[in-house]
Amino acid sequence: MRVLFLLVGSTLLAAIAAPAALGQLTPVTPESPNADGIKDSYLFVSIFTLAIFVLVEGLLVAFVWRYRRRRRQRFEDGAQIHGATNLELMWTAFPVVVLFLIAVFVFVELPGIKNVPAAGPRGELEIRVIGRQFYWQFEYPNGVIAIDTLRAPAGVPVRLEVTAPDQDVIHSWWIPALGGKIDAIPGRVNKTWFQVDRPGLYPGQCAELCGVEHARMLGAVEVLPEAEFAAWLDERRAGQTAGTSELGAELWAGVCAKCHGLKGEGGIAKALAGSALLADPQTVETIVRNGRVTRRATMPAVGAGWPAEQMDALTTYLQESPPSGE
Amino acid sequence: MASRAEAAPAWQRGRVASWLVTTDHKRIGILYIGTSLIFFVLAGLMGLAMRLQLAQANADVLSPDRYNELVTIHGTSMVFLVGVPILAGFGNFLVPLMIGARDVAFPRLNALSYWLFAFGGAVLMGSFFADGGAAKAGWTSYPPLSTQTEGNGQDLWILSLHILTASSIAGAINFLVTIHNLRTRGMTWTRMPLFVWSIYVFAWLLLAILPVLSAGITMILLDRGLSIGGWEVQANFFNPDEGGSAVLYQHAFWFFGHPEVYVIVLPAFGIISEVLPVFARKPVFGYKAIAFSTVAIGFFSMLVWAHHMFTVGLPYSLQAYFMVASMVIAVPTGMKIFNWLATLWRGNIAFDTPMLYALGFLSLFVIGGLTGIYLAAFPIDWQVHDTYFVVAHFHYTLLGGVVFAIFAGLFYWWPKMFGRRLDERLGKWQFWLLFVGFNVAFMPQHFLGLDGMPRRIYTYANEDWEGWNLTSTVGSWIMGVAILLFVWNAVKSRTGPRVGNDPWQADTLEWYTTSPPPPHNFDEVPYVTSARPLYDLRRRLREKEGARALS
Repeated sequence: MRVLFLLVGSTLLAAIAAPAALGQLTPVTPESPNADGIKDSYLFVSIFTLAIFVLVEGLLVAFVWRYRRRRRQRFEDGAQIHGATNLELMWTAFPVVVLFLIAVFVFVELPGIKNVPAAGPRGELEIRVIGRQFYWQFEYPNGVIAIDTLRAPAGVPVRLEVTAPDQDVIHSWWIPALGGKIDAIPGRVNKTWFQVDRPGLYPGQCAELCGVEHARMLGAVEVLPEAEFAAWLDERRAGQTAGTSELGAELWAGVCAKCHGLKGEGGIAKALAGSALLADPQTVETIVRNGRVTRRATMPAVGAGWPAEQMDALTTYLQESPPSGE
Repeated sequence: MASRAEAAPAWQRGRVASWLVTTDHKRIGILYIGTSLIFFVLAGLMGLAMRLQLAQANADVLSPDRYNELVTIHGTSMVFLVGVPILAGFGNFLVPLMIGARDVAFPRLNALSYWLFAFGGAVLMGSFFADGGAAKAGWTSYPPLSTQTEGNGQDLWILSLHILTASSIAGAINFLVTIHNLRTRGMTWTRMPLFVWSIYVFAWLLLAILPVLSAGITMILLDRGLSIGGWEVQANFFNPDEGGSAVLYQHAFWFFGHPEVYVIVLPAFGIISEVLPVFARKPVFGYKAIAFSTVAIGFFSMLVWAHHMFTVGLPYSLQAYFMVASMVIAVPTGMKIFNWLATLWRGNIAFDTPMLYALGFLSLFVIGGLTGIYLAAFPIDWQVHDTYFVVAHFHYTLLGGVVFAIFAGLFYWWPKMFGRRLDERLGKWQFWLLFVGFNVAFMPQHFLGLDGMPRRIYTYANEDWEGWNLTSTVGSWIMGVAILLFVWNAVKSRTGPRVGNDPWQADTLEWYTTSPPPPHNFDEVPYVTSARPLYDLRRRLREKEGARALS
């Protein structure tokens, strides 16, 4: 018995100590003030949960050890104590106090988490985030469209309006380093924000089961230095009009390839490499806008509601660089 | 009963037939438990398959559709085909015995409950063979995903839940009427065993919440469209395109779904409150506090549902309310934990297998309770919601908590059910394997969730997650071995050592009668003078013998 207790105790300790050393007992390193506030709340709660964990497990082990039977008779009575009102009142009041402190701390942190900082001299940016089976579409105020990777300028508050088309399903927008998640729900517009000072690529993914390729509905925020972002936005704007932007490639990778394979080699949906349909913009548009129901599979209407510019980007891309299959 | 059994027609007296037509609460209880254990093994295998798929990044063990089916049916079964019915099984077997009654109030309704449950379970499991496979929208089945998926799986999921709901409602009414009316002489409300208290609240909760679930899933059914003899119904409750609301269902589902957790957890608490005192040789510490906290948890559990919906964009004031309300539940739960700890204090603790499981329950449930605080604090929930942190949290409460309590109950009452003991050595091996395997499987999932791994994904590309996922898979298979040991133990117990009426020297009335009890339960029931009638009886006996020795 003794050996087993030591064994289990040390395994549990190791299980907790090892990841703690690696920083895995806390959320992802925050890069935005709202994620900061959440992590602070998490750490504050952890003070109490760890203390209570040690207290309860400690008492449990201590009692089990101290009051084990040893040489007493099998059925000899323990102390016949039926209760102790004062003691019980104390351990009813104790959690009330702890929970009160936690609630107060959360309310103190809340404004810093939910309120978007006032726009500074460099202004702010508002982007529409649309969750769809199985990609993220980002729409900038000037009409620029991007898929799966949202580019944003450093040091500026970025407001997000998160939603999903009426015919789609619920998704959830989440970049762990940039704050909590918020659902993208058909018929609703939810709001969230971030402000990142350090340029970099911050990955995330859809957090609400949205269908067969939910696991591949990745998203990311790429924070660029302000000037670089402005340049990208202008270039994409011009490219979208001229039909020379990277949007076509983004659409193929984000919208088509998750089911048909990045090189058109097929996946959960059939292979497209070598298909003559791809060369015909009209057919592609019809299928992408309306979806397709065959006896074996259903393709959702992934492109319903796309502006002409966006559809052109895809059809042009497919004509210019059709998937090779290899 | 005995005479009635003899009067039964010959075809009903056979070994199998007598179980098929039985209205004896003990046999129905055993049927419930046995059937639930079969579903437990099936749903557990689904879990193991999912863990295999997730052991490595970009693995190819299961297709995405198959994985989503397993996610859905694993969760639905563990709640509806294992958690609720196995505890209803314990309730069936134990409640009449514990309150000194001859049977439940409506024995035939009781049989109907069981057969509806078995049928509903068969429908759910059978749905794998339906056109398009089983339901794929998760055990929560949120629309519009659940209204849009094709095939019949989702419809069968709804049908199955309707059948199971009917079963549970009939069962709940039966428990309530039984507990209200059939308690033996002297058994006042405050002398009732704490397990009976927990079944009492369990039954009220089921009655209160199941109709709301039925409404929700019926709306899904109508939104999916019905066609009966050319009569077409197409509703749009959850379709925003036609003025519906996709979020409405979530309110209905969680108004049911959160209390449902307590429907399962409370009887597990009840088992712990019976086992701990017997193996610590003490009365339970603070009987009234534990009984009261059971009622309080049941009541408050109906006021906290939207803490599952913190990310749908509810007004902040509403989120604040649901945070505070959810935290309120921690208070009566904490009371119980401290009362159980105090029950151990100054006891004479024996480490038989039921006690090991009860202690395991205590150590693991605390962890599940503490991680619940993070989920109640809504800004933190925005971060960890729908990640593996949540998966770890509810497995600590439902597997580490409830399943450990169920094994405590099985090892504790097995002698009463079958007159034979389960093997202690095997039982202890099973316990340690399950305890270690469980922690190895689920502790790392907290870290995965904090690192950004969402739940319900059939694969992941992030190789940083591989280590902990592999660890978790190894743990899950260790648990698989533990369950296998139990199956072997159960089979072996058919020839195990016989036991007397009261092998544990326990305190409640079920130990007063023979093991297994006769069809009519008791020849006579002693007048109940406290919450521990058998303890009182033994004490009076000792005093009498002492007096005789003195004279």
